[in-house]
Amino acid sequence: MQTFFTDEQLQDPGLARSNEILRNCVHCGFCTATCPTYQVLGDELDSPRGRIYLIKDMLENDRPADEKTVKHIDRCLSCLACMTTCPSGVHYMHLVDHAREYIEQTYRRPLMDRLLRWTLSKIIPYPGRFRLALLGAKIGRPLAVLMPDARLKAMLAMAPKTIPPVSRNDDPQVFPAIGERKKRVALMTGCAQKALNTDINDATIRLLRRLGCEVVVARGQGCCGALTHHMGKVDESHASAARNIRAWKAEMDGDGLDAIVINTSGCGTTVKDYGHMFRNEPLAGEAAAVSGLAMDVSELLMQLDLPEGDDKHLTVAYHAACSLQHGQKIKTYPKDLLKRAGFKVVEPADSHLCCGSAGTYNLLQPEISAKLKDRKVRTLEAKTPDVIAAGNIGCMMQIGGGTEVPVVHTVELIDWATGGPRPSALDAGG
Amino acid sequence: MTEVLDTDYDNRIIRVQTGRTNISVTGAVEEDGFFYAPDPSSQLACAIAGNIAMNSGGAHCLKYGVTTNNLLGVTMVLMDGTVVEIGGAHLDNAGYDLLGLICGSEGQLGVVTEATLRILRKPEGARPVLIGYDSNEVAGQCVSDIIKAGVLPVAIEFMDRPCIRATEAFAHAGYPDCEALLIVEVEGSDAEIDAQLGVISQIARKHNPVELRESRSAEESARIWLGRKSAFGAMGQINDYMCLDGTIPVSALPRVLRRIGEMSKDYGLDVGNVFHAGDGNMHPLILFNANTPGDLEKCEAFGADILKLCVEVGGCLTGEHGVGIEKRDLMGTQFSDEDMVVQMRVKDVFDPDWLLNPAKVFPLSASESHRAAQSEVAA
Amino acid sequence: MLSPRDERDVSAAVAAAEGPLRIFGGATRQIGNTVVGEGLCTAGLAGIELYEPGALTIVASAGTPLAEIEAVLAAENQRLPFEPSDMRGLLGTSGDPTIGGVVAANVSGPRRIQAGACRDSLIGVRFVDGRGTVIKNGGRVMKNVTGYDLVKLMAGSYGTLGVLTEVAFKVLPGVETRASVLISGLTDAQAVAAMSQALGSPFEVSGAAHLPIGEVGLPLTMLRLEGFADSVAYRAGKLTELLSGAGEISVETDPERVRAMWQELRDVAPFHGRAGDVWRVSVKPSDGPGIAARTGGELFYDWGGGLIWVLLPEGTDLRARLGDFAGHATLIRSSVENKARFSVFQPEPAPVAALCAGLRRQFDPKGILNPGVMG
Repeated sequence: MQTFFTDEQLQDPGLARSNEILRNCVHCGFCTATCPTYQVLGDELDSPRGRIYLIKDMLENDRPADEKTVKHIDRCLSCLACMTTCPSGVHYMHLVDHAREYIEQTYRRPLMDRLLRWTLSKIIPYPGRFRLALLGAKIGRPLAVLMPDARLKAMLAMAPKTIPPVSRNDDPQVFPAIGERKKRVALMTGCAQKALNTDINDATIRLLRRLGCEVVVARGQGCCGALTHHMGKVDESHASAARNIRAWKAEMDGDGLDAIVINTSGCGTTVKDYGHMFRNEPLAGEAAAVSGLAMDVSELLMQLDLPEGDDKHLTVAYHAACSLQHGQKIKTYPKDLLKRAGFKVVEPADSHLCCGSAGTYNLLQPEISAKLKDRKVRTLEAKTPDVIAAGNIGCMMQIGGGTEVPVVHTVELIDWATGGPRPSALDAGG
Repeated sequence: MTEVLDTDYDNRIIRVQTGRTNISVTGAVEEDGFFYAPDPSSQLACAIAGNIAMNSGGAHCLKYGVTTNNLLGVTMVLMDGTVVEIGGAHLDNAGYDLLGLICGSEGQLGVVTEATLRILRKPEGARPVLIGYDSNEVAGQCVSDIIKAGVLPVAIEFMDRPCIRATEAFAHAGYPDCEALLIVEVEGSDAEIDAQLGVISQIARKHNPVELRESRSAEESARIWLGRKSAFGAMGQINDYMCLDGTIPVSALPRVLRRIGEMSKDYGLDVGNVFHAGDGNMHPLILFNANTPGDLEKCEAFGADILKLCVEVGGCLTGEHGVGIEKRDLMGTQFSDEDMVVQMRVKDVFDPDWLLNPAKVFPLSASESHRAAQSEVAA
Repeated sequence: MLSPRDERDVSAAVAAAEGPLRIFGGATRQIGNTVVGEGLCTAGLAGIELYEPGALTIVASAGTPLAEIEAVLAAENQRLPFEPSDMRGLLGTSGDPTIGGVVAANVSGPRRIQAGACRDSLIGVRFVDGRGTVIKNGGRVMKNVTGYDLVKLMAGSYGTLGVLTEVAFKVLPGVETRASVLISGLTDAQAVAAMSQALGSPFEVSGAAHLPIGEVGLPLTMLRLEGFADSVAYRAGKLTELLSGAGEISVETDPERVRAMWQELRDVAPFHGRAGDVWRVSVKPSDGPGIAARTGGELFYDWGGGLIWVLLPEGTDLRARLGDFAGHATLIRSSVENKARFSVFQPEPAPVAALCAGLRRQFDPKGILNPGVMG
């Protein structure tokens, strides 16, 4: 589409990139068809095309973000279904990221909003703090009725009933491969995941070692920065990212790495984008190298010789996390792996739609998130599965909060199928 | 307004609210083996209401017709607020065919809120053949020969060289680099498909194709269609484009393509052609740079010339996109003043004060003078 | 009587007319109320203007005999998709049906369910409106949304909105062969269910009819298949399999006999030469048997149960027997008095009738084009 940036504006690399993206859009509206918020709210401004126009207008006029623009951009899940649908290759992710950064710089949110976002950004990326907060929430849940803000209620409601003890597997160390070493890989152990569910990393480490990988938990790695990145808090997200880049670069330069494995697809999407985030900064080369090695665990597993398993007589409903199917365009691998391992795989209707978790979205936009959750749970349960599998902790928490069907990570099932323990969630009754 | 109100397989109809998207009408019945035939390329996003307003077609209308042939009834809100039912689950009307009149009226006669649509059982299978030629004339002749041979393909799609190249660069569908590409799809059981593709290939061979590839599997079919389905996106990668949809008699195809090529040189703007050859519905995509001052105006002038050419060879300005505002000033090339006045009188009946999409379809000069004359009569 | 030779003559005649005009082509399809007025015969506007077999398009003057058009198409192995009926046998008329008459009455036949009615194949018209102005709409291409679709409006308007002078059609390839799958002994309800099953199959049934009293006195359900020989044989086999539980099934493969049986059905042959009023009732197919039972007349079904032809004693008020129902009943054959008494066409709801009256006023402000023919 036609854009109206001045030559001077286009000197700014951020604006130049956004202009490039906008010029690709032919405003055909296909994106509206698969946008979850447009499905729920039915307002053009809550569709990618509507947001693109809002962002374009805001950026072209160099105008501070206004309340309306912020409202509609905030409602975006960043599920990136629009990018899968777009026939013209519009890179909506980079555009909305830019808009969020711009909003953070030019818009003063109401006090409550600011406090909430500040709190989230200061707690969730830090496993120690997050664990404490979860414990606090557990105690505080009975007080939820007194909460003045729907979002705070949502936070209390989201907190799991049981909080696992710290897993020492998540500490910096090296796990040798079992048998011949085929690859040396770094595992990103994440932040929130460590506090919410230690089974996933444990299963991943067991599985990868069994398949011939030496697994490194690099010293200094931590949160990927996605959470603050999606809030437009660039300084913080870049600081997190830079820490990771340095930690993995050290391993790459040391004993070398064949891959950086990520088992939380939301984080994977961000790590794969480090190259873009740092493209104009001194760390550009290192960032691009890290992004180049980043892999979802399912991608790595496809490269390893996963043995074919016997029929497990278990129906697995595979929930495609948006960050995996849209962000990383990984659609078939997890299903292929599960089938290979001996599970019957089914998929819900409208599998392209987000479950509403989307990082902190379920905390910041509880109403829309709840609608999407209900929809997703309904379509999953319609397939009457024995278990639901997903490749992203956020989705697992979200869906698990709405169904009695156990929800596990894909690697937990594959670990089990290849000799690991039966996932505990299968016996916990949801 | 996106709900399915009633699905009736015995009578092969579905009743929907008109905000529902085209593709989700098929989506509602496809698990049971049925589909809704009109399939405009925008079917993912376009609503049934819009399909009715523009009488949308799609790639498969050679066999299944366009919206008006698949619409059995509507609930419509008239301008005075009255809600009327026109048509229904039965066929044809007692009196005038208001349903046919409403379909394609670009929202100027009333607001359609519900629609009863014909659904069909999915064929057992469908497979295309891809045929490449070194000249548009020969490709056009091949289309005509296929039709004359008594085969009725569900779709005959045509792409010219600029479009083939852009698509190949974007989607890597494995198309040959040639002047004209045809994708001809037929339906039926495996044996029926083989027989029909055999007849088509035999005809195609007589014209010395540079490539002839019959699909034998779902994967091959998907690959053949991949490029065609990516064509618009591929052209969009090159530059901004304006898409037209003038329709021409199939026999005029070679001549029109030649003229468009000449005009493209005169205007200095590239153009790619991809269209439904079976029904003559062209889709020239004129490439321009929206950020270059003057380019848009040049592109619009070029587009207008193409549409005038379509009318000149016996075709029309728009096959399925509608006149809207963009083409209203070209109406005079296809219609006399009297032709337009009669149409405007129809609007007078449904919407005497011209409140529904008043600026669309008719040139403003024509509609304003018509309305002025009407109010004089009234006074 | 006015006998224009070309469009200009028609225009002049209508412009000069001071009283009602009774417009007709071959006058073989005298449906509707009788019009009293000066005759205007369009049979003089004859001739095929353009025929492009490779583009599946034919354009003809309105007075061209239907038979001529069908012959020209057949020579290229093509046909009018909608299978126009011949009403001479039923109505006891003579003369040559014209293509303009076919359009004015929006004629169709058994293939209506697959290929649509006349209005679905009609892609362009020229006509003279009630002011004497020559108007064109549509064209000769099958996809066209340039301006309003007056083409559809003209189809079935029985000359009340304008005098047709030229019509254009999309045509279809002819068929190599045809067959009928025949089931005997079904009740009306069973027959409609079987026809629904067949029409809801992927086997492209191009005709589905049921005669409660067939040739040999037993109920006969007929399903027609058309196309290439191998394909017809394949689909006949598949349909036989699909409907195997329905009753005694046989397949008629002699194309000439198949053609004849569907032509008789198309032309309502069972009621030829029989006294009484003939009604044509269009309903949702699954409503067919229930509504048919209320008619109390001799009847048969076409369109998979959606079209019911009913023969009743003269002067029977069928609409009173049917009461409120979804669909419409048309009195095709009766005396002038009964047509006027019952109204030939199903009365429309007030707001729709008002729209139609409004259109008539706009197209024919003097009220001279076949006034009253549609009630």
